[in-house]
Amino acid sequence: MAILEVHNIEKHFKNVQVLNDISFSLEKGQVLSIIGSSGSGKTTLLRCLNFLEKPDQGTILVGDQVIFDAADPATQIEKEVRKKRLHFGLVFQNFNLFPQYTALENVTLAPKLMAKETGRSPEDIEADGLALLAQMGLEDRKDHYPHQLSGGQQQRVAIARALALQPDILCFDEPTSALDPELTGEVLRVIRSLAEKKTTMIIVTHEMAFARDVADQVIFMDGGYIVEQGTPEQVINHPKEERTKQFLARYFENA
Amino acid sequence: MFIHVTLSLLEGMWTAIELFLLTLLFSLPLGLLVAFGSMSKWAPLRHVSRLGHLPAALRHFRPISALTELVVWIIRGTPLMLQLIIIFYGPGMWFDNNIWAFGNGRMVACVVAFVINYACYFSVIYRGGIESIPQGQKEAGQVLGMTKTQIFFKVTLLQVIKRIVPPMSNEIITLVKDTSLARTIAITELVKAGESFMKSDGITWPLFYTMVYYLLFVGLLTLLFNWLEKKLDYFK
Ligand SMILES: Nc1ncnc2c1ncn2[C@@H]1O[C@H](COP(=O)(O)OP(=O)(O)OP(=O)(O)O)[C@@H](O)[C@H]1O
Ligand SMILES: [Mg+2]
Repeated sequence: MAILEVHNIEKHFKNVQVLNDISFSLEKGQVLSIIGSSGSGKTTLLRCLNFLEKPDQGTILVGDQVIFDAADPATQIEKEVRKKRLHFGLVFQNFNLFPQYTALENVTLAPKLMAKETGRSPEDIEADGLALLAQMGLEDRKDHYPHQLSGGQQQRVAIARALALQPDILCFDEPTSALDPELTGEVLRVIRSLAEKKTTMIIVTHEMAFARDVADQVIFMDGGYIVEQGTPEQVINHPKEERTKQFLARYFENA
Repeated sequence: MFIHVTLSLLEGMWTAIELFLLTLLFSLPLGLLVAFGSMSKWAPLRHVSRLGHLPAALRHFRPISALTELVVWIIRGTPLMLQLIIIFYGPGMWFDNNIWAFGNGRMVACVVAFVINYACYFSVIYRGGIESIPQGQKEAGQVLGMTKTQIFFKVTLLQVIKRIVPPMSNEIITLVKDTSLARTIAITELVKAGESFMKSDGITWPLFYTMVYYLLFVGLLTLLFNWLEKKLDYFK
């Protein structure tokens, strides 16, 4: 059964149509990679899923529940949006850690603010945060502030922070593009280990080899459209569409 | 004589400190309110536009923001001394109703003028601080399911404070010296206290002696701000 279904999402900014008729679905425990050239709408799509942008058209279902329907204002009530966006986690390109909190505090802040609703104890949240940092290989960095961490370490803290709320679907927006090449490996390793644990993920990336390895499904976007989708074998190794071929050729030329 | 002058100046100093503290007490929070007002995005005509065709300038008109910015412009654009005179003498002169005619009336009028003036200056600093926080911080809070209030208090506020300490300290040190304007409406603050010895005893040194008081006060504040900056140095 699909955990996520996206139907006919459209989004425009001013006069520019940025997303056109975006539809796809994702099975629980699977990894979806979104590839495409700059400006093709990948970030905007992730932002729509996370309620940071409001699509003009379309519906989004998680489980069987309609969490967004552009035609139904009842699905867009601010108070409920706050809860509904917790189905998704988002890891930003430039981490966006909170500078005034330590690594551990970054991870535990949101769960602690939510403790009244979830009934979790501070000790429980703390222990959970530590376990997540350990999973990221950062237990010895728990008391470091973001500016004392390398980019790769910061991104791993950001991943732990997103996981702390146990989202159904974890989204990554080019998680390694802001990193020096020697630091991308450690972040990709962590994401790979999450995939092995059957974490449902959507990963926007320019790391073609990584996408081919980790993804169960690949979407190629261009000009706000999904041009091609399928398994990595289909889309990356044997693209059918001319635009996909061109994009990949350009990519592998440079790589 | 020296002791007599010292004590008399201390009294003037106390008035200045009172004015200083009361001004901060009210203008710091009021300034934040003014800052929020000037950042208000409320544009009621946006909805009206569905009925007819309003020009874009009208559709984007934000009345709260426009009004606060007008007030801030007037207050920052005119001398505090003038504002003080208008607030103190205005009601009696134009409305035949001296609302300040009670025990501490002068001082209260003075505090009101200072609070309005400083709230406007502070609001600009607050606004700059708030707008300098990257959008990504707010968005990170949002995707973690935080409410607007939680984001403001748990994510943004401390970062804003860190950024506004230097400009705020400037403004607050200026306030120390602006308290001397209170003499415009015959409040015996420090400078007036020092000057009074020129008339009564024909000596000028008490007037210059007041500088010691100002310098000590500002020195203390400088230490306080340096300490605060150090305290906030643990993050970037
Ligand atoms: N807030 C906005 N206002 C106006 N236009 C925007 C806004 N955000 C994005 N766009 C435009 O939408 C288009 C898609 O942007 P988006 O960031 O989604 O692309 P992307 O695929 O993530 O690109 P990249 O690989 O460079 O990150 C671009 O043309 C961009 O200029
Ligand atoms: Mg992008």
